Amino acid sequence: MDQFLNVLVVGILLGGIYGLVSIGLNLIFGVVRIVNFAQGELVMFGMYGSYYAYTQFGISPYLSVLVVAPLVGVLGVAIQRLVIQPLHDESNMQIFATFGLLMMFQNLMLAVTRGEALSIGGQVGPAVLSLGEMKISMVRLVTFVVTTLITIGLHLFLSRTMTGKAIRAVTQDKRAARAMGINVERTFLFTFGIGAALAGLAGAMLTPIYSITPAVGGNFIMAAFAVVVLGGLGSVWGAYIGGLIVGVVEAFAGFYIDPALKHAVWFIIFLVVLIVRPSGLLGQAGAEEVGFREQN
Amino acid sequence: MNKTEQFSRPGASPQAALTAAQTGIESGRRALLHYLGAMALVFLPCVLLIDDAHWLNIIAVTYLMGGLAAAWNIIGGFAGQFSLGHGVFFGIGAYVCAKLYLVFGFSPWATMVPAALFAALVAVLISWPTFRLRGPFFAIATLAFNEVAFVIANHFDSITGGPRGLQIPFKAGFSNMIFRERWQYALLMFGFAALVIGVSVVLRRSRLGYYLLAVREDEDSARASGINVLAVKLKGMALSAALTSLGGTLFAMYLRYIDPPTLFTLQDVGVKFALLSLIGGIGTIGGPMLGAALIIPFENFLRAELANALPGLNLAILGLLMVLAALFMKRGVAGAWADLMRRFSRNAGSGR
Repeated sequence: MDQFLNVLVVGILLGGIYGLVSIGLNLIFGVVRIVNFAQGELVMFGMYGSYYAYTQFGISPYLSVLVVAPLVGVLGVAIQRLVIQPLHDESNMQIFATFGLLMMFQNLMLAVTRGEALSIGGQVGPAVLSLGEMKISMVRLVTFVVTTLITIGLHLFLSRTMTGKAIRAVTQDKRAARAMGINVERTFLFTFGIGAALAGLAGAMLTPIYSITPAVGGNFIMAAFAVVVLGGLGSVWGAYIGGLIVGVVEAFAGFYIDPALKHAVWFIIFLVVLIVRPSGLLGQAGAEEVGFREQN
Repeated sequence: MNKTEQFSRPGASPQAALTAAQTGIESGRRALLHYLGAMALVFLPCVLLIDDAHWLNIIAVTYLMGGLAAAWNIIGGFAGQFSLGHGVFFGIGAYVCAKLYLVFGFSPWATMVPAALFAALVAVLISWPTFRLRGPFFAIATLAFNEVAFVIANHFDSITGGPRGLQIPFKAGFSNMIFRERWQYALLMFGFAALVIGVSVVLRRSRLGYYLLAVREDEDSARASGINVLAVKLKGMALSAALTSLGGTLFAMYLRYIDPPTLFTLQDVGVKFALLSLIGGIGTIGGPMLGAALIIPFENFLRAELANALPGLNLAILGLLMVLAALFMKRGVAGAWADLMRRFSRNAGSGR
């Protein structure tokens, strides 16, 4: 029983990480309707940013978020303006373009850093919270709490503020939103920026947990897609719930089936959900088709 | 895809209609001759004049990748179904061949039949449910299948050799599909590319080919016109997968070593097929081959020049090229060429 509980806790904390890297993707995927393959690389930039902030200036990764997240957000705005916006109604070309960005970012970072794996886990990571038999990694707990807070914050932002309401209006009906005087293009820019900034934030939060390589984004991107599809497209709580599902499934599959197959197990769950209910568990049924219909 | 432009073009002006009538629509046999002849005209001097192993290798890989991209183009280009999971079929071709050859001593030529059938079967099984998804969702699902294949190949090492891979010993001979000379491999790959292009030419003019195009242009209208959309997509996917698996077989015997990263890495396999097609011209017959002819040597050049100085810079440039092509050259070199020719002929016509 203790073992079961332990695996469950590990899974939930892992779910927090997956949820965190997926929030930004979910916002972009849900609102701008872009499959951003380069999202994992934005997380990677966040990791490198906070790594250098820590090693060069001694700034804690949790504090460096204040600088790193806005910077990655600006990059996101640039991507939306220069690459995505010109391709707004060509979903196949968007796939090419964002995959090209993925290759570009990943390999530029490889050229700059020469691919050496970096880590500050030794300095920040090892703190452990002991609860009876259970040992909980502090950094993972902090990450989980942050994921929860950000999800609540984003929910409040989207439901209470004027800008948030504008974003939701654009999601539901671009044309009607435009008729109501909402600047659709600017809303997209803003949303992509926020989504990218959240990826940068996720990166900074994960710096103490994972060792950093140029290819680290690849570890997150498929998980993030799975989370977004499982939880529900564009649903803020969807990313949170989806993250928990993927995390818990991975922990149990890794412990009880085979560590080598843990990814395959949630991939298969992901595929089943994608095929049976493409709108996800919390998403509005049919959203995936309505969203991708041509809406000019 | 810009359908109004495509459909209105021939009848845009009486003059254009006239020239189309004069030249006549190419018959299937002439088109076949046309494409294969052009390919042979490029290939023969290359192989006869070049006696350098390095360049012959590049030529062989160019034709292999050109053929694979053309196979992808059948479902990705003609039918507009953006699969990123063709690595699955590529891997099936490689593993079925290597396994049957190593364990039972089958000739790789003979293993192509079960490999192609198996790939087509897997293609139908995984596509049946995923074809309900559209656009980006379809792409993500195929991507996930590619990842599942990677994990499975890594895990079941009794069959696939797992991360250690499978080594095929060097035993030269035609029936082993292992050759001493590099030009023989170049010829083999040329034959594969010619086969796929030939299939594309015939398919493009067949009933199924027109159905595939109709599905790409407007799935709902195609269905309303009485086309069984799912069946058409499945046939296209099965054909594309079978041809891709042949390429996988050739790749396995060419490299004589296969492991999961070489078969399932997205940037080198699944996405590469699509990228080559994009550069050359998605949905055209010759585009994928053209894309391979441009990109594969360029890639080798970049790798040779840059990879030692700054690892990764060559791939970063390829990524940049992909972004730029998506932004500014959506119809590839073939599309740009067609635009140029049309503008040229229009100018010449108005001058009269």
